[in-house]
Amino acid sequence: MHTESDEDLVKRIASGDRLAMKVLFSRHQVRVYRFVLRLVRDETLAEDVISDVFMDLWRQADRFEARASVATWLLAIARNKAWSLLRKRRDAELDEDYASSIEDESDGPEVVLQKQDKGRAIRACLGRLSAEHREVIDLVYYHETSVEEVARIVGIPENTVKTRLFHARKKLGEMLKAAGIDRGWP
Amino acid sequence: MTDSIASDPKRRELEELLPFYANGRIAEADRARIEAALASDAELAARLEIIRDDMAETVLLNEHLGAPSPRVLDRLMAGIEAQPRQMPLLARARGDLNNGLAGGFLGWLGGLLAAQSPRRLAYAGAFALALIVLQGAALTGLALRDAGGGYQTASAPGTRASERYVLLSFAPEARAGEIASFFKRFDASVVDGPRANGFFKVRVGDASLSTAEVDAIAARMKAETGIVSFVAASP
Repeated sequence: MHTESDEDLVKRIASGDRLAMKVLFSRHQVRVYRFVLRLVRDETLAEDVISDVFMDLWRQADRFEARASVATWLLAIARNKAWSLLRKRRDAELDEDYASSIEDESDGPEVVLQKQDKGRAIRACLGRLSAEHREVIDLVYYHETSVEEVARIVGIPENTVKTRLFHARKKLGEMLKAAGIDRGWP
Repeated sequence: MTDSIASDPKRRELEELLPFYANGRIAEADRARIEAALASDAELAARLEIIRDDMAETVLLNEHLGAPSPRVLDRLMAGIEAQPRQMPLLARARGDLNNGLAGGFLGWLGGLLAAQSPRRLAYAGAFALALIVLQGAALTGLALRDAGGGYQTASAPGTRASERYVLLSFAPEARAGEIASFFKRFDASVVDGPRANGFFKVRVGDASLSTAEVDAIAARMKAETGIVSFVAASP
């Protein structure tokens, strides 16, 4: 069965094709939603953001540059919107209200460790990383992006991508070590 | 514990590439370098195992996040239906201005021009020049009239009850010099246009002209088929 490429769908969207819009949305909504949800930690807000992201796609489809993949483009738009939301939230000093993380690892990594579940402990620590570290970890580990793509999505130089990821990994290791899991590094 | 990788720039560089080696998004040359290093560097290999553990848990964590509710698509499509679609050309032109790109509207225009024959391009250029001249004349005329006082009808901006007009469109093959000469011969001037349909409103005289005289002027204009394609008296 022939599957139309994302780029072809975007061309159709640029000419006002609503069906192409639905196909592209179906193809990317889950990943974009999860990326945003990990940043904003609120399902309703994440849904609002992805709705805005795809509305932007509808409006700007004829500006799409084939230099980047459609997935990268969508994640970059989503990232900007999510961070804009995060900044507003910080301004309103509401960040702490979102302490109940979406991962719902209600136990801290120490408690999880007592339950002898290393995997859950790692996930608990992943949920406690800073938003900057979470996004770079998610982009590389879950969204399988390259250095160049992360640089494009986050808007930082490629070398910064590598060092930021290094520090995110190191921070994760330190959190696990503090919880009693020593993996030999750091 | 001392981090021997961090203190060795060459190993540190490879270590920073390990996540991309693990997710398969790395250049072939870098992949080969990493594989060669992994074969002899146990510490680097241990670091890769940590990355693979974290990667597996990150995937698991994300997969547990679920999916957006169906109402997101419903809301999106409702928003799209409610919003008038931007004109593609306008959007492209705006994209050009915003991004400074070679594509977009200018790219489209370039492609269109490249597809035309030199002769056709020459005609098109002459016609475009004529339109610019006409618009300039119209604007100047309007400015002078505004400076001179008087009044305007509410129904036809730029026109006056004391003047007589025709509505006309130019033949596609009309040349700039021919159009300029045409206006001079008829002592005419553009007061409005070009409109979306390509028509111009042209002043052909003052209120002393009778309807029959305006019709006669229009008929003589119409006879110049190489320059105009449509002419009719207009209020």
